[in-house]
Amino acid sequence: MANNSTDMRANKKREFTELVAKYIFMFNATIAIISVVAIASFVFYKGLQPFFPGNAEGTYNFFDFITGLEWRPSDDPSQAKYGILFMIVGSIYATFGAILMGVPIGVLTAVFISEVAPKPVKMIVKPAVELLAGIPSVLYGVFGLGIIVPKIMTLSPQNQGQSLLAVMLVLTIMILPTVITISESAINAVPESYREGSLGLGASKIQTIFKVILPAAKSGILTGVVLGIGRAIGETMAVMLVAGNPIAGIPTEIWDKTRPLTTNIAMEMSYAFGLHQEMLFSTGVVLFTFIIIINLILNRLTHKVGEN
Amino acid sequence: MEAVQKSYINDRIHVTLKPEKSRKKFKEAFAYGIIGLATAFTVSILIWIIGFIFIQGAPHLNWQFLVKDFDSISSYVEVRATEGSENQLGVVLDFKNIHQFGGNDKTVPYITKIESTSGVKDALDRLGNPFPLREGDAIDRISGKTTEGMSMEEIYETINANTDKTMLLRVSREGGGIYPMIVTTLMMIGLSLMIACPIGILAAIYLVEYAKPGRLVRTIRFATESLAGIPSIIYGLFGMLFFVTYMKLNYSILAGALTLSIILLPVIIRQTEESLKSVPMTYREGSLGLGATKLMTIRRAVLPSAIPGIVVAIILSIGRIVGESAALLLTAGTAAKIPSSIFESGATLTIKAYTSAKEEADIGMACAIGAVVIIIIFILNGSSKLISKSFNKSV
Repeated sequence: MANNSTDMRANKKREFTELVAKYIFMFNATIAIISVVAIASFVFYKGLQPFFPGNAEGTYNFFDFITGLEWRPSDDPSQAKYGILFMIVGSIYATFGAILMGVPIGVLTAVFISEVAPKPVKMIVKPAVELLAGIPSVLYGVFGLGIIVPKIMTLSPQNQGQSLLAVMLVLTIMILPTVITISESAINAVPESYREGSLGLGASKIQTIFKVILPAAKSGILTGVVLGIGRAIGETMAVMLVAGNPIAGIPTEIWDKTRPLTTNIAMEMSYAFGLHQEMLFSTGVVLFTFIIIINLILNRLTHKVGEN
Repeated sequence: MEAVQKSYINDRIHVTLKPEKSRKKFKEAFAYGIIGLATAFTVSILIWIIGFIFIQGAPHLNWQFLVKDFDSISSYVEVRATEGSENQLGVVLDFKNIHQFGGNDKTVPYITKIESTSGVKDALDRLGNPFPLREGDAIDRISGKTTEGMSMEEIYETINANTDKTMLLRVSREGGGIYPMIVTTLMMIGLSLMIACPIGILAAIYLVEYAKPGRLVRTIRFATESLAGIPSIIYGLFGMLFFVTYMKLNYSILAGALTLSIILLPVIIRQTEESLKSVPMTYREGSLGLGATKLMTIRRAVLPSAIPGIVVAIILSIGRIVGESAALLLTAGTAAKIPSSIFESGATLTIKAYTSAKEEADIGMACAIGAVVIIIIFILNGSSKLISKSFNKSV
């Protein structure tokens, strides 16, 4: 009898521990959710404040902010200009240029790795891509500053190296590992029977690659492209070193200096205060909105792939 | 009419068959060509970047670079007068520019060559400890007189005007080492992993061992995917707002590590999940069948077999921490000294590489730090591969 009751007590205690453990595990799993919610709400709350009347640090017209062509912070609120349209355009141009150059190169490299390369060559190229992915973004910027910018300076009609073109080139290199790895796994996921069928019908290897495998891997490759866009638009440190970061002006030529959204935040945050600081958070909100859109597209894409 | 056309077609087919084939061949070759070209571009860019960073950084790279302070030191030293030399110090001097942090450049005389009989090699500092001067040391004062603004002749005159057996010099030695940044980086790695690893691993256990498919799991997955997609500058903004300002941690190692640990969550969760999933179901069934509780099964049967995967997660996280910059710029600051506690600001290697390139316009220094970082990344990549390879073999 006594034995039985201690058994039951031990059981109860054990059950309790099990339950507590479960909830501890669950709590830790929800930290990811908490973090996302906290990041979004803190950044949005702080960044949207200047557009509502009664803000302690002063207000700024949202329309002027989103369509403005000049960024001129000032302690005097009537003098200060916080327009970011030229940065939005700069960011989009730079991303577009990087995708235009980086995606073909990346996809073809992926084709090389998974379809063309003999094994020993593959053993060299694959780790090279992994290493490229591991290089910190600052070092891409240093490379850009040390090699790309001086090169452009000799070619540019404007005699300056820091330019939209430099940003595009640095971003092209930076999105390569993303595009290559994702495309490669998409290509590898294409069933072997597709290749066999195509080759069996008399198609050449190249025809099989371009007419059968790449179309079949399309949505996977598209995922890589979208991830590449996300990386390009959010890249900060490398871009900051080569962009030139002017305070005004939509870039009209690839030789023009540009100031992407990200660098605006990183450059001035360390000394900004008051309304100026809040406007930097507003810049972050615009950037964040872009990222959210990209993530939603990505979510769609990956789910579609999963269904197939 | 019809007959003519037919024969024309036949004729044409007959005639053009060969060029058609060769055009196809040409197209194939062209396609192989661009595939090869794209790959060559990717690989050569990597070689170019690494080559550039190592070549530019090479002049800095030596043991001293790793163990020297970043900031300069100054000291008074007592030097025995040298005889039988052109000047009493037995050294050859030249001018150089010293870049002062937050100030203007300064021109100072420095030692370019030390003669073999020179007394500066036996110099003593104020406490009587040996402080041998080296090539590169700058001389600020000679016998109490400042060298600032002196011409080279005046400096040599001042040296030779000395009548005592010894001479008092004030020398400054440039830092230029990265020891403080190495310490900061290690602190950052330790602290971030201490925060992120338990959370990430426990979360992965929940997702693999406990959770049933449903809304919560979907939300958690969506959240982890979103976290992976947020650029580090946004993390920086959040970290600055929440950890630096709201929690009043200021720019500090702790604020940086807390921000980093959110960045690391997706990496750790995903990797740990993979390794937990690869543990065979029979392990769990066996353990549960023997009467172990779920918690005991996880601790004794599942986790030990998942350890290699978790180690890989940690290695990947270290790589991420070493490479991180934008988020740390806004949360940990850029101070180039050894932080005395986790509540002080400090720059990691990567941050220092950035400030060297941007604020100090010193590409050589940035590349030297970059070379160290690349070596670290190389080692991390290699070891994570080795571990997962041996792990896959054993399963």
